[in-house]
Amino acid sequence: MTGTRRRFHEQLDDLEHLVIEMGRSAEIQVGRAVDALVKANLDDAEAVIIGDLELDRMYLDAHKQWLVVSAEQQPVAGDLRLLVALLHMVVTLERMGDQAVNIAKVTRSVIHLPMTEGVLEIIQEMGDLVRPMIRTALEAFLQRDVELAQTLPHLDDPVDRLNGEIYERVLACDFGDQGLQWGVRMVMVARALERVGDQAVDIGEQVAFLLTGELVEFSQFDDH
Amino acid sequence: MSEFETTEVVVFDMKELHVFYGDFPAVRDISLQVRTNEITAFIGPSGCGKSTVLRTLNRMNDLIPGARVEGQVLYHGQDLYGADVDPVEVRRRIGMVFQKPNPFPKSIYDNVTFGPKLAGTNTDLDDIVEDSLQRAALWDEVRDKLDQSAMALSGGQQQRLCIARAIATKPDVILMDEPASALDPIATQRIEELMFDLKKDYSIVIVTHNMQQAARVSDRAAFFNVAVREDGARTGVLVEFDSTDKIFTNPSRKETEDYITGRFG
Repeated sequence: MTGTRRRFHEQLDDLEHLVIEMGRSAEIQVGRAVDALVKANLDDAEAVIIGDLELDRMYLDAHKQWLVVSAEQQPVAGDLRLLVALLHMVVTLERMGDQAVNIAKVTRSVIHLPMTEGVLEIIQEMGDLVRPMIRTALEAFLQRDVELAQTLPHLDDPVDRLNGEIYERVLACDFGDQGLQWGVRMVMVARALERVGDQAVDIGEQVAFLLTGELVEFSQFDDH
Repeated sequence: MSEFETTEVVVFDMKELHVFYGDFPAVRDISLQVRTNEITAFIGPSGCGKSTVLRTLNRMNDLIPGARVEGQVLYHGQDLYGADVDPVEVRRRIGMVFQKPNPFPKSIYDNVTFGPKLAGTNTDLDDIVEDSLQRAALWDEVRDKLDQSAMALSGGQQQRLCIARAIATKPDVILMDEPASALDPIATQRIEELMFDLKKDYSIVIVTHNMQQAARVSDRAAFFNVAVREDGARTGVLVEFDSTDKIFTNPSRKETEDYITGRFG
């Protein structure tokens, strides 16, 4: 292989490593944000908000590298699909980080409000479900494993169900004013985690696109 | 030679085409179709036989001693190598533009009228010159100096003059063998734009080493590669032929993928 092509593949590898790194960071951020909320730990919530700066920095780095590689190498075929998938994943992971920040900001705002039994447990459960989804999506990408990617919609089903459950619970509660404020914010948190689950599925779709050349919404196979 | 019908969607239908130079098989077993009003690109490494295949389409290989063709090339359904086919008429209908601009050392006007005069045209030569140079996007640059030597034109202008010269004989196919490889990016872009305009009226087959050019201009692309026999003999083969979109986003064959993404050597 010529020097310039070797450089191209090194550039692709660097970008891929950066995306994997972003994935790890997004997973940690989401997990930490949920823990901070459930444990009412403001320090950890602040750490999530500050930690997002690092994810944003990686996002900007990846974006810059992506532009350089695309301009210099004008990739085609599998290389082109990889770059398209990487860009999509970079954007998706950055948004996952934003969802973690949203949850951390909710933690800040509800610290003084009364809470209702049972809801936080469901949020914890949602957090415990979406974290491995992020890991699975990144693993499917790393291993170029389309079958693993295709498991993601199934992993997402209970997340969607719990999101609906939180909504129902909050509706059913006999809140005072402050309790209602708390409940609405919990619905927002559940919605954020539901989005993270969907975003993990999106990454899975990009993995399938990379490997098959066809971009298909996994949800179209949804039999629910 | 009988008149070719030009109503078919398929201009060229190559069926199990083999080309030999003496006993040596230069290309083997090529089957593909070239369609009207499309640009078909032949890509592949040096020695893969793409220029050889291109030259079978207007019987240029006839001019190479020892060259022999097996299989069929149908041109609008008629055997191009049939006994009653006149190769000179073939080359009038199927024009060719080469890698290096090769205008005759004559005036611009004489370059364009050379073919029509040879064919004994009844059309007014001035009209042919203007029409051909217009189509080749050169008229505005040379209309006031038609009597000047073609050799004084820039490389890009010379190549467009060669295209005008090919057009002047009223072909329905233009074959191009790396038509822009000797040109700078600006002249290359003009040739590519010209090809795009020309496909409204002509079918174009282009051989190019420039992957991006093939991706930009062509509708379909054929990837040729070199097959090496046990005894070391190298023969050109067709690996994959598909829409250009497919070839450059998701080729079916790994060989194609490796070549166009630069994973060779």
